[in-house]
Amino acid sequence: MNDFAAKVGLTGEQLEHLLAILVRNTVILIGIISVAAVMTLVERKVSAWMQFRHGPNRVGPWGLLQPLADGVKFIFKEVVVPNGANKALYVLAPALAAVPAMMTIAVIPFANDVVLFGKNWGPLVVADIDIGILYLLAIGSMSVYGVILAGWASNSKYSLLGGLRASAQMISYELSMILAILAVVAMAGSINLREIVESQAHGGSIADWNFWKQPLACFLLLVASFAETNRHPFDFAECEPELVAGFNTEYSAMKWAIFFIGEYSAMAVMSSLSVILFFGGWSIPFLPDAPWYLGFAAFLAKTSVYLFLFVWVRWTLPRFRFDQLMRIGWKVMLPLALVNLLATGAWLTFFGPPGAP
Amino acid sequence: MSVANALFYLLAALTVVAAAGVVLLRNPIANVLSLLFAFFCLATIYLLAGFQFLAATQILVYAGAIMVLFLFVIMLLNLAPGPKAPKLEEVGLPMFLRRKSGVTVVIAAALLLLGASAILGTQSTGVEAAGAMPREGIDAIRPTPGTNDGLAAEMFGRYLLPFEAVSMLLLATAVAVVVLAKRNRPGDRSA
Repeated sequence: MNDFAAKVGLTGEQLEHLLAILVRNTVILIGIISVAAVMTLVERKVSAWMQFRHGPNRVGPWGLLQPLADGVKFIFKEVVVPNGANKALYVLAPALAAVPAMMTIAVIPFANDVVLFGKNWGPLVVADIDIGILYLLAIGSMSVYGVILAGWASNSKYSLLGGLRASAQMISYELSMILAILAVVAMAGSINLREIVESQAHGGSIADWNFWKQPLACFLLLVASFAETNRHPFDFAECEPELVAGFNTEYSAMKWAIFFIGEYSAMAVMSSLSVILFFGGWSIPFLPDAPWYLGFAAFLAKTSVYLFLFVWVRWTLPRFRFDQLMRIGWKVMLPLALVNLLATGAWLTFFGPPGAP
Repeated sequence: MSVANALFYLLAALTVVAAAGVVLLRNPIANVLSLLFAFFCLATIYLLAGFQFLAATQILVYAGAIMVLFLFVIMLLNLAPGPKAPKLEEVGLPMFLRRKSGVTVVIAAALLLLGASAILGTQSTGVEAAGAMPREGIDAIRPTPGTNDGLAAEMFGRYLLPFEAVSMLLLATAVAVVVLAKRNRPGDRSA
């Protein structure tokens, strides 16, 4: 390896570092796409379970290979571009919907410092940047373009209505989401996600989790993330009884599938964010010095619970009406988030940050 | 020339091209997307200069919220592409020679001069002025990483009053727009 490094003009150390980055980022990217694939199966299995059905069980043991079969099917389906569609934007829209979700995964810290082969490779995160949450919110707010442009470029009234609804909804709930997150940021004193996890992890006790200090913010973020990912009970962008399938009515084959990869990736990112902000990220209660792989497993377990919650809510709660959605967003969520932020600020002013003497 | 400087010139050129697209393209949706692209290039320039917070805010506020509203309104009104753009020689010289455009030209020239003198002035004084481009290029103004605390201290310390004044100005503008845009209905004496 050192010979090769010398040939390309790097030291062995630098080459090792580069390779580590390459491997880590590839694993994380493949991981998030696999999560999207697995979630399609989980969604169908859980819905079947809740409705006393079997669900997919033909492909592989217990239907475990169903996502693969679906993928093959999507690739071989016919791609239909509707008449009068704006072709460039029509093709671009699915990518615009899926890419932001995959970009935001970059700042999610999955585990503490990875120690492998007797060497510390740093925390398991693609980019440990200081503006972590801001980056996540900024790139995450881009995903609305995929939906709205898909609706417009399809040249179909149902698609257009779906796109318009999605944009109105995502902007409305983004405000409450940011304000809810801000309360946690104020307590942690940092917008670096890794530091927020560490602020909850150092005590090694479950009482350090932000959930106990900010239950309202946690609930607001949960509701807002349903709205932001266009999931039930707020899935007005696709609302079958009213809009056929909403913004993706005119899409077929892999283009259609990419919207769903985007939706499930966004769900995974929102779940990870909630776990990081409120449930201590990779920290394990009563085990403050757990090795990194246990922390990684704990992170995945917590995120899975959150993802299950998304599916659970989808198959149990009925859909709201659009005016109800707007009323909740602006007249309930936003004031609650503001009051919560104000109360947090007052608490911090009078009693000081938590953990300070 | 460093990589950062080369990237800066590339992004600056792209920003100008995208900004020209906002004015010159005929399809309203294309205008909006062009402006969106310009915002992204600008945000990347901020990143290159080391202003991470500013870059994220630029994307979050302008690209993520304001442009979505623009797109929303354009789609809601279903605007058709505008009239065909006139040729350059039809607008170029006559535009400046027309009688009523004199004031506009003077104001535009004054603004351009002001901007240019501000940039040239900071160039001669050195790198103190944040955001201005010193002679050595973008490398020279890059602050040390992790400037969130510094930014917060400046904004809520030294510049607290101007900061609040600007937010009051924005609030007043929003109120003014509502008053101006409100249609006077017969029998409505509130406006």
